[in-house]
Amino acid sequence: MVRFALAIVLSYGLLSVAVAENYTPGQRSNKTYDSFASSFLLTHCVDCHGETDPEGDLSLNELGPVDELNAGTWKSVWAQVTLKEMPPEDSDQPDVVERLQFSDWIVSELERVMRDKGGFRALLDPNKGNYVDHDLLFGSLPDGIRLVPASSPGRLWRVTLQEHITRLNELINTEPEFNPEKPGLRTRGDVVPTNHGGELKLYFGTDRIIKWQGGTVAYATSVKSVPAVLSSARDHGLENYPDFYTVNSAEATQIMSVAGDILRYMAYGPLSIANPEQITDDPNSYEIVGDIRGLPTALVYSTKVVRPLTPIYDLMKDEGVTDDQLSAAVNYLFESLTFRPPTRDESDAYLAIVKQSIDKLGKEDGAVLGLSSIFLERDALFRPELAENSKPDQHGRVMLQDWELGLAVNHALRYIKPDGGLREAIVDGRMRTRVDVKREVERLLADDSVRKPRILRFFRDYFDYDRGGYICKDSKALADTGVSNRGTSHYRAMFDATASTDRLIELILQEDRDVFKQLLTTEKVVATKNDNVYFGRKHLPEERQASVAAEKKALEEAARKNAAELATAENEVGELEATLRASPKDKATQMALERKKKVLAAAKKKVANKRKRTNENHDVAEAELSGPNIFARVSRRSFGNGSMKPDRILATAPEGQRLGILTHPSWLVSHSDAMDNHAILRGRWIRERVLGGGIPDVPITVDAMLPDDPESTLRERMHVTRETYCWTCHRKMDPLGLPFEMYNHAGLYRTTELGKPVDTSGEITDSGDPRLDGKVSDAIEMIQRLAESKRAEQVFVRHAFRFWMGRNETINDAPVLQDAWHAYRDNGGSMKAMLASLLTSDAFLYRKVEYNPG
Amino acid sequence: MINRRNMIQGMAAGVGAAFGSTFVPGNVQAAKSNAGTPKRIIFFMQNQGFDPATCVPKGMTSSGSLAKATLPEPIRALEPYKERLHIINGLHGTHTSPSHSAFFGALGGYRGSDGVPPSASTIDYELSKVLPQTLLPHLCIGMDSIENMTTKPTIGTLSASGAGQPIFMHSNPNHLYQMLYGGISTGDIRLQHEARSNVLNQIEKLAAVKGELLPTADRQRYGQYVQGFHDVNGLRDRLATVSDHLRKFAPEVDERYSRPEFETDWHDVLLDLGISALTSGITNTLTIGSGRGEIFGAWKGLGIEEQGHNLGHMEQPDNPIWIKIRQYNSRMLVKTMDALESVPEGSGTMMDHTLIVYTSNNADKQHTSGANWPVMLLGNFDGAFKTGCFTQLDGQRPINALFATLLRAAGQNVDRFNMNEQLAKKFDASTGPLREVLA
Repeated sequence: MVRFALAIVLSYGLLSVAVAENYTPGQRSNKTYDSFASSFLLTHCVDCHGETDPEGDLSLNELGPVDELNAGTWKSVWAQVTLKEMPPEDSDQPDVVERLQFSDWIVSELERVMRDKGGFRALLDPNKGNYVDHDLLFGSLPDGIRLVPASSPGRLWRVTLQEHITRLNELINTEPEFNPEKPGLRTRGDVVPTNHGGELKLYFGTDRIIKWQGGTVAYATSVKSVPAVLSSARDHGLENYPDFYTVNSAEATQIMSVAGDILRYMAYGPLSIANPEQITDDPNSYEIVGDIRGLPTALVYSTKVVRPLTPIYDLMKDEGVTDDQLSAAVNYLFESLTFRPPTRDESDAYLAIVKQSIDKLGKEDGAVLGLSSIFLERDALFRPELAENSKPDQHGRVMLQDWELGLAVNHALRYIKPDGGLREAIVDGRMRTRVDVKREVERLLADDSVRKPRILRFFRDYFDYDRGGYICKDSKALADTGVSNRGTSHYRAMFDATASTDRLIELILQEDRDVFKQLLTTEKVVATKNDNVYFGRKHLPEERQASVAAEKKALEEAARKNAAELATAENEVGELEATLRASPKDKATQMALERKKKVLAAAKKKVANKRKRTNENHDVAEAELSGPNIFARVSRRSFGNGSMKPDRILATAPEGQRLGILTHPSWLVSHSDAMDNHAILRGRWIRERVLGGGIPDVPITVDAMLPDDPESTLRERMHVTRETYCWTCHRKMDPLGLPFEMYNHAGLYRTTELGKPVDTSGEITDSGDPRLDGKVSDAIEMIQRLAESKRAEQVFVRHAFRFWMGRNETINDAPVLQDAWHAYRDNGGSMKAMLASLLTSDAFLYRKVEYNPG
Repeated sequence: MINRRNMIQGMAAGVGAAFGSTFVPGNVQAAKSNAGTPKRIIFFMQNQGFDPATCVPKGMTSSGSLAKATLPEPIRALEPYKERLHIINGLHGTHTSPSHSAFFGALGGYRGSDGVPPSASTIDYELSKVLPQTLLPHLCIGMDSIENMTTKPTIGTLSASGAGQPIFMHSNPNHLYQMLYGGISTGDIRLQHEARSNVLNQIEKLAAVKGELLPTADRQRYGQYVQGFHDVNGLRDRLATVSDHLRKFAPEVDERYSRPEFETDWHDVLLDLGISALTSGITNTLTIGSGRGEIFGAWKGLGIEEQGHNLGHMEQPDNPIWIKIRQYNSRMLVKTMDALESVPEGSGTMMDHTLIVYTSNNADKQHTSGANWPVMLLGNFDGAFKTGCFTQLDGQRPINALFATLLRAAGQNVDRFNMNEQLAKKFDASTGPLREVLA
């Protein structure tokens, strides 16, 4: 212990020297535990976290250098110090550089110690992006910090699930071209969407099906489809950092199997999945005998060829095989799957594989097997940014060029291969400079017919409004919200709601004015009929009673009216019959009697059909949404009869009840659970995505459970988070999430909860911008305040940076972030301007590649 | 993270050759070190529901021995095996939305439906991870109409290795035979096997070359991709080295493979392949999806002309069609037990260390709330389960509780499976395994 103290005294002397040095973020230092970290702990931590009665039961006085055993504790220390949670506000604070150096030192030590144990990757997680102090990125830097010019690491990005499916879909389905008259309809270049159940699948031949037996489920079973093969482990937030995923052997073997199906369909069309007699333009010529619902033979395909006819078709349509046909097929497939033409070596290698397979199995099976190998080509599953062919500048950075640069720009916006203009620019050597990139980015952004699904993907990742259909609801709890809990109607409504929010965002992007503010405060709603309920207001108990009573009264009134009509009709028939008895040959009376008898029969039927209730939803005052017809970009019928309908209206939300996307059911339900709202998740979203704050990981000792008490409101049940141990983190989330209690967990507006006025109060605290801080009466007031905030806008830019750079920002990226924010602000809140700035930034264009031998 | 166990599990989720590092055939395994008793589990999932009246002996309303009871006609074939049978009535799956089919939810214990991706892994996958390691930890086979099995030979509807990660089941016996026994095959299957091996070897080489100059940070991640091919290829070679052993178990390929008269020809040979994968020690977990988790399916080979959806609309008790289907299932169960019984293992036979879980992905019937989910267990899993009895539960415990029980029996210290405490408060009256069924 004496030696420990001595070491600390010595090193503390060294510390002041260290702080006076220039500090370059990310640069490795030669600091050690003894020379640096122990004195930091002694100065700032062990007073409270000492040997006896330590705060939080955490003692740091004998923590010692980072090793395997104490890595967890050091990780917590890193999070607390980096997020400025520690030392506590009322203690002496380390200066900025000292804190940064301490944080860097822990990271480098954890990386070293954990290298063989899965590594230390916490700071690569997008949810930890906010660990970089916002004020250092957007404010002025203190003396002593020297930045290095920005760049990103050289890397391989694995393609995402939707990218992959959309890429494969291009091989077998011809999607409609963009129609400026109906800009919302899904067209070529839009992502292949999930189906009615939320599953992402590739469908075969659905654009030719003209008849089938059975309903939705039968159709979905009959149709040939394959689910996405590549896996994704993330379901909230930014999902596509390059370092998240690889391709495992199960996926690789499955991709090979799917490749065979695709190639056969490319060659033979529906004949590869149906019998010849099923392909006819006269559906009646194919007799479906008996009940064969769900079988592939229960489908009829038209004869019109709609799939793309490619060199694969040319290769397979006739007998025999030539080298030219084979090369054309290999080269076509290679570019379709990797988005670039093969090199001579690549082309030769795959040609050899195909030939060997044909030698072994004959043309048909051999060509399919051999060509399948291209689906497993590295660049068909990963997109390289290795910058191998350029020279580093004085900072060791290499600029991407040609195909790598072109495909990086393409990938920033698109899921399908580069359009003609971009391809030409790459081939002609006009994708080598910042000016080249600016030219292409601005061209692509300006052209609506060039679909850019990656931009929408960013908003899904940022807002997380696309999870509603996947939140499994308790049936009774769902019914209590006022929406239908029959079958899958709620889940379908949620997938519809996601598509509606997609479309609303697109409309705001089209205006491209104050985009972030508009997203938070728009009064517009893209709506289906169902949304009259989802955007409705939950009835008060007395309103419900009144509604039931009104229905009863209306039904009684109708019954009385029907009875009266019946009596009148009976009288009239009686009178006519009497007249006819007196004058049996009176034709006019005969005809009148016939007519009256029909009226009598109808009246009897009405009386017999006593309706016990109408379709009135007594639980909800439905919103009366109205407006012009528009379309949402859902899967069209070709993706299955069970898919969603694109028809929508552009309406205005009920006044005073909604404001922007955060108050729409798509977002609210995405941030709810089976039984209730999820105020913590909502609060966390505001804290991280809008205020730029960080929340440390939940300690493993925490058993995070709210009490189950149906007689208490969520707010009351959340009182358990007020325990000191929990409140340190929950104070950052709960007061930001509880204002959304003005909606129930299906997203309906409400004024009461459990028979009492609902408490929607909350508070913005420690936002980093004193103008934002303070109490709010409900979510709308909070959103209005946030939407005016410069800081919130900057945090939005930080998230855009992460999405498009595929990594967390560092302090070295401050100039890039500031430029992007200025571009956004100086152009009236233009997303396009911000994107152009990001995609021409050093962080996007330059790579640093670290090679370690071995 | 490169982890051999994970990698092999990952491979099992695919349709390709997926084999572990060492070859330990079942009958050799018992003689091996004491690295755990060999155990294996089979899930047999019949679609359209499992009506309790078709399995619970008449008059049995409370738990008790089956010794003096007579099994109902649909499962009469199990009568001689009664002392191994445990019929469980009164589990529920109301939270799985099982009407039509719970799909992944049936083995996952969570909400599932047509077109809904799995929200977590399923019990068969989880068990395959914890049972003693085999070359192919998990094999799934699916039985359907011949048209469906031909045009869609691999689909994923029942098993999953995680959220959004379906495990594909094999339905074309020719493909499955090639995967399991390509190395000892002859004729066309041999040629296919060789051609496929060649392609996979070449892909591995190309992939490896493109990984030579990668940045340090990407090398490990890309390495897993290359390693995947390396394992598939390397282990295929290793399988070839034990071909003599495999020959003892591989079924004969006959005309039913290439020219099936009815779909049931393929059902039969798929079962043969599944059984052989167990008896040869290639796998320890077999999932059989009869009707492939959906609401269709066909059994024309049994003389049943009606197919698919209509079968589900029929009442099952005393229905000649459903009696035929259930009898067919029962014969398959008997065949499986007999085959496992014939292979010595330790001081007994393979069957002594096996458990068969027979149920439906559709609870008790096609249109159901899932309030009752009958299950039959066959075998005792090395003495872990009671047998020869009927257990009537009170409908307060979910199928998840049975799954947690299976994990317990496989040595895992778990109280719940895929059910958090919040859901459990609503759907599970208790916690931990089903004590009523454990020995």
